[in-house]
Amino acid sequence: MATATIEHSTGHVKETEQELWKGGRSPFKAGYGKIMMWYFLISDTFTFACLLITYGALRFTLADNWPKPAEVFSSIPLDIFHGVKAPLVFVSFMTFLLIVSSYTMVRAVQEGYLMNKWGVVKFIIPTAACGALFLFCQYLEWTHLIHEGMTATTASPTTKVVNFGQLFFVITGFHGLHVLGGVILLTWLLIATINGRFEKVGHYEMVEKIGLYWHFVDLVWVYVFLCFYLL
Amino acid sequence: MSFEVPSEGHLHWSESEYKEGRASVWKTIIILTIVTVVEVGVAMIYDHFFPDGQGKIFINIFMAIASVVKVWYIMGVFMHLGHETKGFKMTVLLPFLFLVWAIIAFTLEGDSWNAMRQLLNVF
Repeated sequence: MATATIEHSTGHVKETEQELWKGGRSPFKAGYGKIMMWYFLISDTFTFACLLITYGALRFTLADNWPKPAEVFSSIPLDIFHGVKAPLVFVSFMTFLLIVSSYTMVRAVQEGYLMNKWGVVKFIIPTAACGALFLFCQYLEWTHLIHEGMTATTASPTTKVVNFGQLFFVITGFHGLHVLGGVILLTWLLIATINGRFEKVGHYEMVEKIGLYWHFVDLVWVYVFLCFYLL
Repeated sequence: MSFEVPSEGHLHWSESEYKEGRASVWKTIIILTIVTVVEVGVAMIYDHFFPDGQGKIFINIFMAIASVVKVWYIMGVFMHLGHETKGFKMTVLLPFLFLVWAIIAFTLEGDSWNAMRQLLNVF
């Protein structure tokens, strides 16, 4: 049986494992779980790409009738400024939430590298909170748009074509589902960290893996934001 | 039950690596915020001065480039892809070349459907 020793940055041999990747070591110098998380994210990228490319193709098909984002997303949900038109303001706030959560997530991963348990906890809580707040904002935006008459089967006066509503609800809904999954994973991660699970394991790679997923959700939002609100 | 899980990679950082990592994350978050603010600002200013949509193509090219910049930083720094081995980077990035093809192909296809609709007077 092949055995492999792993040198860590601290210089001493941390653990001896048998047949880590059968050949004795991983060809990519990274953990199996992390690599598989990357490959899952690539496949998920293709799912989102299919949806967004469908959006692009249908938009070109109906080029002359396609609605303007500045008109569709011109008002703020809850009408806090009483009818003042402020295109893109609310969705920019949602984007800001995801950027902040990405920052706190990467900080949690870095605290994990230092084996700092309470540092990880400190940064996971705002990450999960931003995700939950994002979902709440999406709920407000959806109900607002549905009240204006834009649903998956009908067009509002500003959207003109049914396809816009269909694509909007399917794509942002699928993204929202990913955010929901991320919030659930982060909640589990928080409980596991507090219980000291990763101290027993000896490393915080799980924080890094879930962090990869969370950044992916942010990354997809960059393109959803681009397609629906900016182009 | 033992929790010992075999794993490989650079999972423990020294104090200096940590400081370096934290500084690069700060730099990245500032870049991402600035790019997003500029994108939204450009979109708003454009809609204000050109409500009829003249020269929209230039705005679209700018937005596409800005989005690629954001994704580059998110993947390279936040997802730490910049520090992986070259072979792994290739296995992650090369499949995206298919998407370049798909975007070009389906954009042209959509354009062709549009032309077909006009021709057959479907509207």
